[in-house]
Amino acid sequence: MAEAPAKGDGAPPGSSATAGGSGGIAFFLALLRARPAYALGYVIVATVVVLAVLAPWVAPYNPVQASPVDFLKPPGWPHVMGTDATGMDIFSRVIYAPRIDLAIALAGTLISAVVGSALGAAAGYYEAQRGIGTFAAGFVMRAADVLQAFPVFVFAIAVVAVLGQSLQSVVIAVAFVNTPIYLRLMRGQVLSIRRMRYVEAAYIAGVSDFGIIRRHVIPNAMAPVLAQLSVNIGWAILLTAALSFIGAGVEAPTPEWGSMIAMGFQSIITGHWWPSIFPGLALAVTVFGFALIGSSVEVLADPARRRALAGELEARRRARLATA
Amino acid sequence: MQLLAYLGRRLLFVAPQLVGILLVSFFLLKLIPGDPAVMMLGPFATDDGLARLRAELGLDRSLLEQFLIYLGNVLQGDLGTSWQTTLPVTTDLAQRFPATLELVTLALLLALAIGVPLGVAGARYKKGLLRTTADYYGLFAGALPDFWFGLVLIFLFYTTWALVPAPLGRLDFVILPPPEITGSLLIDSTLAGNWQALRNAAGHLVLPVLTLGLINAGPILKMTQSTMERMLESDFSRYAEMCGLPERVVARKALRNALPSVVTIVSVLYGFLIGGAVLVEIVFSWGGAGQYAVGGVLNADLNPVMGFVLYSAILSLVIYLIVDLIYFAIDPRTR
Repeated sequence: MAEAPAKGDGAPPGSSATAGGSGGIAFFLALLRARPAYALGYVIVATVVVLAVLAPWVAPYNPVQASPVDFLKPPGWPHVMGTDATGMDIFSRVIYAPRIDLAIALAGTLISAVVGSALGAAAGYYEAQRGIGTFAAGFVMRAADVLQAFPVFVFAIAVVAVLGQSLQSVVIAVAFVNTPIYLRLMRGQVLSIRRMRYVEAAYIAGVSDFGIIRRHVIPNAMAPVLAQLSVNIGWAILLTAALSFIGAGVEAPTPEWGSMIAMGFQSIITGHWWPSIFPGLALAVTVFGFALIGSSVEVLADPARRRALAGELEARRRARLATA
Repeated sequence: MQLLAYLGRRLLFVAPQLVGILLVSFFLLKLIPGDPAVMMLGPFATDDGLARLRAELGLDRSLLEQFLIYLGNVLQGDLGTSWQTTLPVTTDLAQRFPATLELVTLALLLALAIGVPLGVAGARYKKGLLRTTADYYGLFAGALPDFWFGLVLIFLFYTTWALVPAPLGRLDFVILPPPEITGSLLIDSTLAGNWQALRNAAGHLVLPVLTLGLINAGPILKMTQSTMERMLESDFSRYAEMCGLPERVVARKALRNALPSVVTIVSVLYGFLIGGAVLVEIVFSWGGAGQYAVGGVLNADLNPVMGFVLYSAILSLVIYLIVDLIYFAIDPRTR
């Protein structure tokens, strides 16, 4: 009996929407048809990922092979996006780059989401209880305050400087910077869910704290976290590129958008725009794709907006049927 | 009176938070590998000389002792010396903070000038070009890496069309800077009547301000639009509409009520940009505070970073206080 109530009478709006008629892949596809911009987001990200995975077969050149004779060739044939100051093929490097950028951003964001959500769930759950719990929860929140009081970028550089320059350090820096966001988000969610009837019911039925958090609180609090996640991956890519741009991230010959932009920095003053412009464009378009996906997830995760959208789609379908 | 009591309470909470920020930054930065003594004396220093310098810098004491000494010095207004510039950090920051502040302030004014009207338009019209622009501007601007966008602007406006001076600092080297009064070159050169310096400084400001302004208009637009939408749907707007007030008047009243959230997002952006403008500062060799801090982190130069963190914490505090005062002025409910 104690296991049942999550989808029962006291179920919050979050789970009722998924249980209702508007769920499923059909709804998702209808959403993409109604809002082509969201579809564009998925297409962009899918293209970037596929190109990165297939890079060894698609790329016309070795991404780290310098060819001093062919330096600063303008875009044309056979170098579609030209070559940089050391003669490396920019197109090959641009499609290899997300292997690093996306991997770092994904790993960093996932770590921060898991750690931040867990801490936030615990902080929110124990905050209202007396004793050591309140104290610990308060401590965690003050720590988050202090972390967020730091200028983000300076903090990220300091983390990389402490841990030494490596891929793992950049991942940890990204994770560190983003953890307080999830911590706050989850805490807010949990504080409101905690007062729901079904949580009280589970408590009275004798379910343990851990059991309540895991089975009832976290599943119902996940929607905004997922929406945040897809927006955050875009920011994380920007942060990764920014760290490499100032030389605190991935080091030079490795194909990575930020360091490529930095390498082209000097050439741009002399009018050689392509070594910087193309990687930056790829970076911006990719982040834009993630932002579009993020706003589609926001709609899907918000029960009210989801219902409104379902109504709109239904009205459109009726209108189509009427004209036919 | 009420306001004073509120401010007093705020300050009471702030002191321990500042100490916490200093504590964390101190220990974090102490973890960075690299010995300032070795960096200052170079590779040919004798062990004896190194030991003497370490003792002089207090590096041979325990970490806690070092922190307490630092804290004591901070209370006396001494933030230490940067070994890179060999100047007191307070002097360095007094030079660099105004540069950052001038840039960030102008950029945010531009962002407001773009974001608020577009956000209002996006909320008022349900269809059309303005609405579509408003809907996608934020997403698109948020996706642009500012350091790259700055480079694109340099390529267009400097390299290709030569419309602006070289992106190297705040003034051309040949131009005599005006005597320093406020630290803002625009204001100082106007006060001194130095029109040549004014024109040159304005020319140098154009691109970095455009870079930061265009990108940060996104969040302001989004906030304005969503709050405006809520206000236009609320009862007081519907009542005004039913009474037959013209749409312009209804929109003006709604905007008046949406202002507090615009002020909030501007204050958040301000605090963020003090450190967040660093990449644009680097691209334009601006010589700002963020650039100074990053240089400190990368060269085991502890004091500048600590000073920067402290200054920006205090600055965001001042900004939040000002914001509270603005709330007080524009939102009758707080009175």
